[in-house]
Amino acid sequence: MLAGLMASSVGGLAQDSTMTSVPNDCQAPGAAIVISAALPNVSNALRDRKKIRILAIGATSIARRDSARGGYHAIIEQFLERTFKGVDVEIFNRGVSGELARDAAERIKTEVGLTEADLILWQVGTPDALAQVPVDEFKAAVTDAVAWLKEHKTDVALIGMQYARRMADDPYYQSMRVAVQEVAKEQAVLRIGRYDAVETIQKIRLQRGEPATETELTEAGYVCMAEYLARAIAIGLFARMRTPGVGPSANPPAKTP
Amino acid sequence: MPRPPNAVDFWRGFALATIFINHIPGIAFERFTYRSISISDSAELFVFLAGWALRHVVGKPEDPTPASRLLFQLSGRSLTLYAAHMLIVMIAIAMLAVSARVLDNPLLLEWHNAAAVFSDPADTHIGLVLLSHQLGYFDILPLYVVLLLIAPLIALVHRKAPNWLLPLSLSIYLASLVFKITIPTWPTEGQWFFNPLCWQLIFVLGFTLSRERGLGGWVRRNILWLRLMAWPVVIGGALVAWKAWWPDATRVPEPKLLFINGKTFLTPMRVLHFLALAAALSSAYALIIKVVPRLVNFLSLLGRNSLYVFCAGSLLSLSCQIIRFGLRGGIVVDTVLVAAGIILMGTVAWMAEWRQRDK
Repeated sequence: MLAGLMASSVGGLAQDSTMTSVPNDCQAPGAAIVISAALPNVSNALRDRKKIRILAIGATSIARRDSARGGYHAIIEQFLERTFKGVDVEIFNRGVSGELARDAAERIKTEVGLTEADLILWQVGTPDALAQVPVDEFKAAVTDAVAWLKEHKTDVALIGMQYARRMADDPYYQSMRVAVQEVAKEQAVLRIGRYDAVETIQKIRLQRGEPATETELTEAGYVCMAEYLARAIAIGLFARMRTPGVGPSANPPAKTP
Repeated sequence: MPRPPNAVDFWRGFALATIFINHIPGIAFERFTYRSISISDSAELFVFLAGWALRHVVGKPEDPTPASRLLFQLSGRSLTLYAAHMLIVMIAIAMLAVSARVLDNPLLLEWHNAAAVFSDPADTHIGLVLLSHQLGYFDILPLYVVLLLIAPLIALVHRKAPNWLLPLSLSIYLASLVFKITIPTWPTEGQWFFNPLCWQLIFVLGFTLSRERGLGGWVRRNILWLRLMAWPVVIGGALVAWKAWWPDATRVPEPKLLFINGKTFLTPMRVLHFLALAAALSSAYALIIKVVPRLVNFLSLLGRNSLYVFCAGSLLSLSCQIIRFGLRGGIVVDTVLVAAGIILMGTVAWMAEWRQRDK
């Protein structure tokens, strides 16, 4: 199905007929990593001006953390530009580390006005959990912001909370995770389950007898989040309000060399 | 002997206490600081008063400080602030690392922009030294360092061509807003949280208004009706902040930064609101000292020792955040933390004066 979709034309742009799968280190079979959603405003931007403006905002910067690999924005930018030939992807990083969702929500409105972004990548939840923000308060802030963005014709990708072994049994942290999932579901927006991805990767590494350190897992969280996100955006450009759910699209078939 | 309490020290102490609370995101008491009902906040007050304090270094018009001494003093002060900033940043990084170890939680290594320090230490340490990498909530002192570095220029322009200083400052400010000029961060991609090209305006305003002549003199002569005009702005600002009636950034005309609320760029609505607030409360000190003299004494003590208190407050805010996370917050924990933090800030200030007396 995906290959068929990819063979079609979006915005008059030529695309690769297939997408490369996420790297082996990021493969997390069975995990609900990408909850897909259509990205109508990004599609329109692609069609009308062959340019996508992406605003990265939220708690932890997903800017360049590894100069050798080009960083996380670069992963997304390069993937989209490779997939959609001729498209220009511009990413504005306005991440303020440690910023609570309620403060980010206000800043997002300003930044959307300034950058005229088509898509917001919002890493959300972890700083609120560290600051012990009540779950209801957090959920209300994110819901309001997402609703405002939809009203202002801007697509959103919620990037869920970070994984840490210590937080696996923490009821409050888990309830914050659930809150992000619920907002994404209620508002029908794209969500990347970073926690799920890293948790599954950790289990796989353990099964292989190659346990990962916390630092490696954190790093994997960023890299894999970017890999999944890039593909989810590409898929979202083709999707037209498909039923949200965990789909095979999260792990598209590998491109035959 | 330390100087007796005065309005500038009192308000500076007030700003320091407020910044301490505001820098503990999620704490129950943050909703009781004045930013909840104000467009501008304690950062504007702090930087404005820094500009105001410049008058003491510059000297009186009839007895100006020689230019070479001015340059030496302000550069030295800037270096002191830089050293203080580096010290508290290193302590903050160590605090996050120790907490991550003790609580066995690597998420703390990612907090407040510290992640790059641990994941890309070579570049990030260069960035820390160059001030191009800043930790969250440790971003006011870099602005202050830059402002003091340009302070001799401000003082000299004011001395040689006093009528040019404010227009020049305003031009830089407006150019930054119109062309969205920012100072980039490195190695993490982003921008300075406090854009010095914009925040210099409030510093220059503080300095200009502190002077007896020029704009400062005019304001003093007209303060009564300025105060009357200011109150509606302050009340309107309270309503805007309380009800979140902010202008919609997608609907205002270009250049958008002239019409919206943005702390990084210190947008005009924040400057105007702060000036109105300053005018409206310009006579409040006389009343406050009559009603709560002990509070004035305490906050003036903080204000007189602002660098020590600011550094202690920054580290205490971070400590409170870590403790809140470890203990899961709650009103009792929050109350104890705020009370302990403010008492410790007072202790630091008292010790600084005790040391000076002991010399």
